[in-house]
Amino acid sequence: MNSDIQYIGEHLLPGIFGHFCVILGFVTILFSIVSYYNASKSELDNKGTWTKFGRWGFITHGLATFGIIAMLFYVMVNQMYEYSYAQAHVSEDLSMKYILSAFWEGQEGSFLLWMFWHIILGLVIIKKSGSWEAPVLMFVGIVEAILASMLLGIHIEIGDFIYKIGSNPTTLLRDVFAAPIFEKADYVSVISGTGLNPLLQNYWMTIHPPTLFLGFSSATIPFAYATAGFFTGRYKEWLDPALKWALFSGGILGTGILMGSAWAYEALSFGGYWAWDPVENMSFVPWLILVAGIHTNLIAKSTGRAIRSTYIYYTLTLILVLYSTYLTRSGILGDTSAHAFTEMGLEPQLIFLVGFTALVALYLYIVKSSIIPVFKKEESAYSREFWMFVGALVLFFSGAIIAASTSLPVMNAIVGIFDPEFTGTVIKDPIPHFNKFQIWTSVLVMVLSAKAIFLRYKTEYFSKNQKVSFAKTQLIHAAIAAALTGLLSLWINYYHWKYIVLGFCAFYTMTSNFAYLVTKAKMNLKMASSVFAHAGFGIMIIGVLTSGLNQSVVTTNPFVMKGLIKNKDLASSVKLIKQEPFFVNDYWITYESDTIEGKMRTFKIKFEKEDKERGNIDPFYVYPNILFSNDLTKVAASNPDAKHFLGKDIFTSIASLPQSQMDIKFAKEEEDSLKYVTYTLGIGDTIFTKENYGLIEGINFDPQHSDYLEHTNDIGMGVTINFKSLDGEYDEVIETAIGVRENMLYQYPEQINELGLKVRLNEKAFDNYFSTEDKLEYKVFHLQQGESFFYNEEEYILQGFDKEVQNKNYIPEPDDIAIQAIMIRKSDMVTLKPIYIIRDTKPSNIKDYDIKMGVHMRLMKIDPVNEKFSFMVAQDDRSNTDIVLDIAENVKRNDIIVLEAKMFPGINLFWSGACLMLLGFFMGLHYRRTEKKRS
Amino acid sequence: MKKTYLIGLLALIAAIAIIVSASKDVSTYATFEAATLNNTRVKIAGQIDKNFDIKYDPVESPNSFSFRMVDSDGISKKVIIKKPKPQDFELSETVVVTGEMQDETFVADEVLLKCPSKYKDEELKLKSEASLAS
Repeated sequence: MNSDIQYIGEHLLPGIFGHFCVILGFVTILFSIVSYYNASKSELDNKGTWTKFGRWGFITHGLATFGIIAMLFYVMVNQMYEYSYAQAHVSEDLSMKYILSAFWEGQEGSFLLWMFWHIILGLVIIKKSGSWEAPVLMFVGIVEAILASMLLGIHIEIGDFIYKIGSNPTTLLRDVFAAPIFEKADYVSVISGTGLNPLLQNYWMTIHPPTLFLGFSSATIPFAYATAGFFTGRYKEWLDPALKWALFSGGILGTGILMGSAWAYEALSFGGYWAWDPVENMSFVPWLILVAGIHTNLIAKSTGRAIRSTYIYYTLTLILVLYSTYLTRSGILGDTSAHAFTEMGLEPQLIFLVGFTALVALYLYIVKSSIIPVFKKEESAYSREFWMFVGALVLFFSGAIIAASTSLPVMNAIVGIFDPEFTGTVIKDPIPHFNKFQIWTSVLVMVLSAKAIFLRYKTEYFSKNQKVSFAKTQLIHAAIAAALTGLLSLWINYYHWKYIVLGFCAFYTMTSNFAYLVTKAKMNLKMASSVFAHAGFGIMIIGVLTSGLNQSVVTTNPFVMKGLIKNKDLASSVKLIKQEPFFVNDYWITYESDTIEGKMRTFKIKFEKEDKERGNIDPFYVYPNILFSNDLTKVAASNPDAKHFLGKDIFTSIASLPQSQMDIKFAKEEEDSLKYVTYTLGIGDTIFTKENYGLIEGINFDPQHSDYLEHTNDIGMGVTINFKSLDGEYDEVIETAIGVRENMLYQYPEQINELGLKVRLNEKAFDNYFSTEDKLEYKVFHLQQGESFFYNEEEYILQGFDKEVQNKNYIPEPDDIAIQAIMIRKSDMVTLKPIYIIRDTKPSNIKDYDIKMGVHMRLMKIDPVNEKFSFMVAQDDRSNTDIVLDIAENVKRNDIIVLEAKMFPGINLFWSGACLMLLGFFMGLHYRRTEKKRS
Repeated sequence: MKKTYLIGLLALIAAIAIIVSASKDVSTYATFEAATLNNTRVKIAGQIDKNFDIKYDPVESPNSFSFRMVDSDGISKKVIIKKPKPQDFELSETVVVTGEMQDETFVADEVLLKCPSKYKDEELKLKSEASLAS
């Protein structure tokens, strides 16, 4: 397009380099796959040459990928908007600390992040895995090639259809958009960046994506070991390294998901930590299946059973990771998610890639699974492996249910192909829908994990004594759990018997697992990892019961009677007027103040408990804020703030503000609709409006109006008025001001919300006090240092000169000759300092101005022979001292906020339980890494 | 009976129970007409009717706002949402509301927005037109 235009200011070299790296990276990973394939067929691998080829292919691919990343960072950091990726994700005002967030905000950047981790993990495998390098990296390479193809950006036209293969992040803006601006040769100088969505400008966006993508990338490794094991026929040896990687991946992916939920809870006003949103679900499902795989992997390592299941779970994990990428990046989720998605037009490619991976895994399974020995006798019900296997199946079921419900839009699309009339179905209320199944999968998981840990692998038979003793321990644990369940009801409500069951099972697995650690495992670290994981899950579920089931809205409207409205959530927020305490559910809430800093407006809100004897007690503050869009015209996001207590969180967010405070367009409309009445008065006069009156106290030339102080005006004036309501309740002095900067007049109206008034100083008042230069009549005086002159009955003395010229209107240049006169008015000792300059042999001057009396003074000429100095003096015409005010009545309040406050009791149980569970993964990994060294 | 079969059987029963139970949670996107006829809780997807104003006054009633929505049949009806108005509501292409008909008004307690991803391009176009004009 526009190839005949010679563009000015473009930097084409990074793009050429980046594009080269994209192609090089794709070709070398294919080369690496082929080489590793030959290396895996050991008869071909003569002295490891193919392995070396594969390795160098992989490393070159890594360097090329780092090259693309470096190129993108280069154009982003230098704000080269001729590149579409830089234009879409950075802007002038974007702080450098968000450059990483901006990098992976886009799809291409997140693919690169994913690839980056694959490369790092691949290098670890090259160094550590020995004979597994070739087959494992072949399969890692296949997944990596899939991702690399997402960056190719090749368009193939077949008839009317254009098939897109990948989206290249190194393309120029003018190759992506057709816009008239590209007719200009110097378009680069006029475009600006879109910048990072303000919602994403926080530290979560810096840490959450890399963790999640490390989780995704590391999920490739157990897949690669499983497929490599089947491919090479080493059907048992892969289990050991795969388990370590699966533990690593489970821990990291779990941490990534938990971070996402902490982000949703803490920084986004989603109103909770889990909402069964498709995006959450589709990162959670692979994790569940991976955890199922870890359990069968443990069985397989100890007993040789369940190798096939482990293969299925690990390969399914990766397929689901890719499938989730398809779901969240294809736009198919459409109306079901609160997350915004961008369509890239890559749906067919994504579907093909998910299908391709599934086919590779399926093909290997069909061809190779026969080499795995089949056990004639099935597991005994007294063995640990039997119940672990059932547990893994439950996890699989849990994931399958979530995945199926989340895939409803996909099913709609498939039905839609055959039946164009079909409009699709949707889950009416997703949260209860998901909860009602997951309660029971959690119950099963917790019962199984409580029971299985007391069993041993390969146990065939229990003697009567063993049975009795086993039943006895389990009964004791159940009794303790029952007691704890009862105890918890003193704090929270269970509402329904099924939550009592859930709570009981959570306590049961906690008791049982900790009892195992103390009595059987004798605090041995080997078993501690699974104890922590299972007990942590139990604690987390208790946290869900306390903070999820028992969360309550603090800010319900006390005037809405219970039962009158069906849905209890209807009135979830209250209106607060600035500095007026408002009582809801045990708390006095006061919106005290707010501050604006950059794009952020932060509200200070006080909570107090009411106490009949001591007045209000236990005050605490919350600081929710709102973020304005990058161009500051409207509110872009509302960030909640929570006050953390040990036993609960008070979570608050700004649900709304007056329209005029949210959107500059509304503010303007509202201002235009006001009916101002103009009053002309003098100092000491009284203004009467319908219900109020105001006494004009005085004029000053140093306004203290808060908006005025935010700018550096050249000159300004303010009028102070003492307003009172007729009933005497309101009695305050307010100020309204006007200021001039860069020859523009700015009005600073004052709104009195209590009275519904808005007071504005009219420009006419300004004209009454300040004369423009053309209206001034200057008088000339010649005098020597020490002499004085009289002007309008005031005596001015030329005291001396200052060589150090200081004036904000004077910008020194080298070779300037500048001199500043010091002129003192005798009556009030006010000093005027006009400046005389010779620049490039031309004389000029800068006047000084005394705002109090309106005196303008210039130093016009210096006569070096007689040492005489010529001054020009003029004074503003202040014969008319009228103050002109515009006053509007019935003005809508602008000092209110709509606040939503929720209470999450025991939310720390949720976080600490989840952390303990994830700690279990890393402990297991640590134990298994050091296992060999010990034995 | 082998335990494997027993587990398989249990899983099958569970699967059937889940599908039966889940199918009750699912409904098609309704239209205003269907909502009036059935008088139950439904989800309706539609577009904001740009010919009418979106009415929200947080000073008077912070927890509700109203607008007119055009459903897939092209019928426009008043919708009241019992929630504070979400940011960027005006910008959204499609809205999905969950609730029921009360007389001629659809009263909803949930609303989901789909903000167009395309608006970035439009913004660029606007910017470039503006700079050409200058």
